This record gives sequence, structure tokens and C-alpha cells, in this order.
Amino acid sequence: MAAPRDITDSTFESEVIKSDLPVLVDFWAPWCGPCRMVAPVVEELSEEYAGKVNFFKMNTDENPSIPTQFSIRSIPSLLIFKGGELHDTIVGFRPKSDLKKRLEAALA
Amino acid sequence: MKELPSEKSIQKMWNYAEKYAEKSGTHLHPIRDVTEGVVLGLADNIDNYGRPICPCNFYPEKDEDGNWPESLYLPREEEAKRRDWICACDEMQIYKYCHCLLFVTEEGLPITEYLPEDHEGREIYGLVKDPTPDQGRALAKALAKQKETQG
Repeated sequence: MAAPRDITDSTFESEVIKSDLPVLVDFWAPWCGPCRMVAPVVEELSEEYAGKVNFFKMNTDENPSIPTQFSIRSIPSLLIFKGGELHDTIVGFRPKSDLKKRLEAALA
Repeated sequence: MKELPSEKSIQKMWNYAEKYAEKSGTHLHPIRDVTEGVVLGLADNIDNYGRPICPCNFYPEKDEDGNWPESLYLPREEEAKRRDWICACDEMQIYKYCHCLLFVTEEGLPITEYLPEDHEGREIYGLVKDPTPDQGRALAKALAKQKETQG
């Protein structure tokens, strides 16, 4: 089981920027409706891509610095990092097939 | 686990959401959990900031000197003083588009028909036609009328 793990402003660098694997971060808030649709899809993907991509989630209500740094506007926003750099930004709810395409692009 | 907003604000927002959906010719999202999330977010913002600010945006926070980083959005306490992102937000009242998925079509899709073509809503959902074009978009209609009067 490889469910997305919580990260914070202070653990972001070690978990995401210094990761050897590509990383997907789900920027969410507790009372955002579409975030509730995205979360189970991200959870499924985290199982399918275990060992290939690391999955994290960041509560934007509790961690304002990193969302500001990456100019997060709407939530949910999914950011994919590769080699410590931002590779792709996905805003709003997307079907699983779309997210898989974006992950495959990051793995290519 | 975040503390729930007051029962009074929750009830107020459920009543508002149901009435506004009817008035604007939209539906609440068919997945109740999605609607409930937004209703709780709106209620929480009423309790903390006095207005039902959209809970599906990231708002910067003020630093200890009262400043904040440049962003599309203002800190919540500042957003409460203007109307752009107070539900029903300007995007809803002009384009009938709710990125929070509170006011959607019967199938659960946000209406994107009136959005500018380069808007992220068009990219995410494609073209979603308005099934009730005679309802909603109060601000768009008021602005068009104002332009007509001035012109």
C-alpha cells in the first residue's frame, strides 16, 4: 500500500526537491469539493505507480509557503516534479486516464 | 481533523446553495460529499472572515508586518472586503462557471460555454453548454445593460 503521504512547508525540500524519483504533490484543502474527487484518484495512482513515482499531499490551509512559492491559485492543483524541478501543473479535477498520461510523460 | 463550522453557518450555506442553484438554473453536484465540502468551506469562511469566500482558491497569508506576496488572490480577510470571490463569485455571475463544482449541470459538470477560450475551465472540461441560458449570469446581464445605456 503506497498511499500519498502528507508533507509540510518544512519537509517539502527533502521529500520533493531531493527525491530521486519523479514526485506528484496534491495541493488540497479540507473543505474544497473538487479536492474530494481528486484524492481517491491520486490514491489509486499512488498504488499503480509505487516504486516509480512518489506521491504526496499538502494541506494548503496549514502550509502557505510552498503554495505561494509555486503560485498555486485554484485548488486542487497537482504538481509533478522531476529531478527537483517543476515538470507539470494540473489544475482541477481530471479523469484518471488524463493523469496517467501526464505521469507517463514525466517518466519518459 | 479541522473543527466543524457553526451549525448556524452550515445551515445558512445549505439554504443559500439550494436557492441559488434553483435561481441560476444549475444543480448542486450529484456527489453529495463534493457539495458538502464546499458548503462547509463557505460556512467556515463566514465564521472566520464574515463572508462566504470561495474555499477552492489558495489565498496568501499576511506576514507579521501585514504584507503579503503578490498573487491573483488577496488574503482572506482582504477578499472579504471585495466581492470577486465571495460566493456567488464574479466568475459565476458573469460566466456561470463554478470551479468549485458547487453549481453545475445535472451531470455534475461546470458550465463553460461563456468562458473565454483560453480560460483553464475550457481546458479542463471542454465546452459545456448552458442548459438554462435564460437563468443566471446576473452580473453579465447588468454589465451588458450598462454598456448599452452608455453606448
